Amino acid sequence: MTLEVSNLVGGYSQVPVLKDVSFDVKDGELVGLIGLNGAGKSTTINHIIGLLTPFKGTIKINGTTLDQDVKQYKQQIAYIPEAPIVYKELTLKEHLEMTMLAYNLDHDQAWQRARKLLKLFRLDNKLDWFPDNFSKGMRQKVMIVCAFLTNAKLFIIDEPFLGLDPLAVNDLLNLISNRKKQGASILMSTHVLDTAQRYCDRFVLLHDGQVRTEGTIEQLRQLFPDAGDSLNDIYLTLAREGGQS
Amino acid sequence: MKQLFKRRLVNHLKEMMSYLRLVFNDYFVLALLFMIGGLGYYYSNALKQLHVGVWWAPLVSIGIHLVGLQLGRMATLVQDPDYVFLLPKEFEMIDYLKRGFNYSLILAWFIQILIWFVMLPFIQITTRIDSLEMVMLLLILLGLKATWLNAEFARKYRLRPNWRLGYQRLIWRFIIPLLALTIAAYFSYVAALLLVAAAVVASWVGRRSWSNRSVDWQTMINDENSRMHTVYQFFNLFTDVPAISGSVKRRRYLDTLLGRIKLIPDNTYLYLYAHGIARDNEMSGLYVRLMVIGTLLLVFIKGEALPIVLCLLFVYLIGFQMIPFYFHFDDNAFVHIYPVTHQFQLKNFQRVLLWLLSIVAIIFGIAVIAVNANNLMTILGVIIGEAVEIWAFIYLYVPRRIARGQRSRD
Repeated sequence: MTLEVSNLVGGYSQVPVLKDVSFDVKDGELVGLIGLNGAGKSTTINHIIGLLTPFKGTIKINGTTLDQDVKQYKQQIAYIPEAPIVYKELTLKEHLEMTMLAYNLDHDQAWQRARKLLKLFRLDNKLDWFPDNFSKGMRQKVMIVCAFLTNAKLFIIDEPFLGLDPLAVNDLLNLISNRKKQGASILMSTHVLDTAQRYCDRFVLLHDGQVRTEGTIEQLRQLFPDAGDSLNDIYLTLAREGGQS
Repeated sequence: MKQLFKRRLVNHLKEMMSYLRLVFNDYFVLALLFMIGGLGYYYSNALKQLHVGVWWAPLVSIGIHLVGLQLGRMATLVQDPDYVFLLPKEFEMIDYLKRGFNYSLILAWFIQILIWFVMLPFIQITTRIDSLEMVMLLLILLGLKATWLNAEFARKYRLRPNWRLGYQRLIWRFIIPLLALTIAAYFSYVAALLLVAAAVVASWVGRRSWSNRSVDWQTMINDENSRMHTVYQFFNLFTDVPAISGSVKRRRYLDTLLGRIKLIPDNTYLYLYAHGIARDNEMSGLYVRLMVIGTLLLVFIKGEALPIVLCLLFVYLIGFQMIPFYFHFDDNAFVHIYPVTHQFQLKNFQRVLLWLLSIVAIIFGIAVIAVNANNLMTILGVIIGEAVEIWAFIYLYVPRRIARGQRSRD
């Protein structure tokens, strides 16, 4: 499953937040979308999941745009929002059922998978609880369980680590690696750069609504030989430069 | 997806019923009966002075129908998390939304029938309309509402460019209705009906052009939230609605007034209630809104008994709104820790109520006196009635009501 964003100009109102953003995510690849607050990470993601309409440019999933075929486009995606968002009047179990219904999942198979995921994130004894009353971290886990319940080919994950305990962060990264091996593509935005450096195949560095640079960590090191070795150092150098220019 | 809508509709109706039960409590039903009776009486009296050919009559009926057509929005019952959870089902949302459309259409038609029914005598007296034409007028209204809602439906889908959509909405929701109603009133009902029929067909055919596009989740969710907020705001006039969370405004200009409260232990609750009501947007908003509506009604309505009934009704409504505020600070740990006795809580609350309702009573009184200056009986009735009502409400009704509330809370 490939995601292709080309020359995307977009934003919430008339004023574009994104100015000519282009990058892609290939089959079985985990791409990290890195940027400061307000750089346009979530805006980019909102465009990809079809919440916002591009002013210019196209977004293709396997060569299909949203306008060409809504069904083809949307059925491939699983999305984990930055702030967990749950139904006030549904229990955890009903959230899972809702997901199965929406993605047309086989009931027995899905429940088998769900039980494993619930156990992994220590939610298995809370099936009849209301996620609305959970802590932020636990609600985030609900969103993760719902997303990884599906057979989606493209995962869009917006800043997943905030509020998660270290064990859950590790488990989430394992889940992502597994799906990657099965051929799914993942786009993940994050601030946690050392984790990103260890797990992401490639990085797209956004600054002020534009792609500053992209590539693997090796390529980035070559591009910025004086900046240092870690993604953290490279990014800080870039961000400071960006602030001055 | 059909099941999903059905399930949500059942929950929605249950919620609405539970609120409606609170709205139509015994006292309010009684007050409402009086009001409908009074207005009906006023209406039938006013009709007697009209005759065929009054030049402004068609304008009034066009205006009322045009405003009436804007009532009743499209209920989609979508919720905030839908854009995440229903993302892959987007192409099936049309089935879901069609149900919402049908449900909204039935409700909206009911409103149209009601307006038509109320307007009938007026139109009958001011124009020469036969019974066939009256039926045609109803059909015109129903058809216009259907196209109106269809424009609302199209808004949930992503049409580009956006300005064209806004422009189309204006046409469907305002210009076509205005045209049809004008033709009906001044030229021919048949021609207007034909125009509406053409509009209905066009809007139904038009549905095909957008129903396979992608859904504009943000607009849809915002629309639904704002619709529900309006509904909750209405219910909030009568009871406590948890979905409306209070926002707070500083309102510095009230500081001198609030500063007059003596800082002694007996006044702890007075201090809390006075500051709370003044700054809580929901409370002060309700108070001001109801006071303004009541005053406007009193300015425009003349009569002998009607102003008295209206005054009493609005004083009751405003007072009734304020009662739940008694419990407003109960969840706050401080009030349980303060070394103050609770015997002053009710007394303090009653004092705040007395102030608030007296202000309302005085403003209403001024409005009544200004409009009915030469009708001494009405003026006296309002003054005495308000005084008795406020006394009875605050010192007889409120303590009982609060005792009952306290029991149900314990």
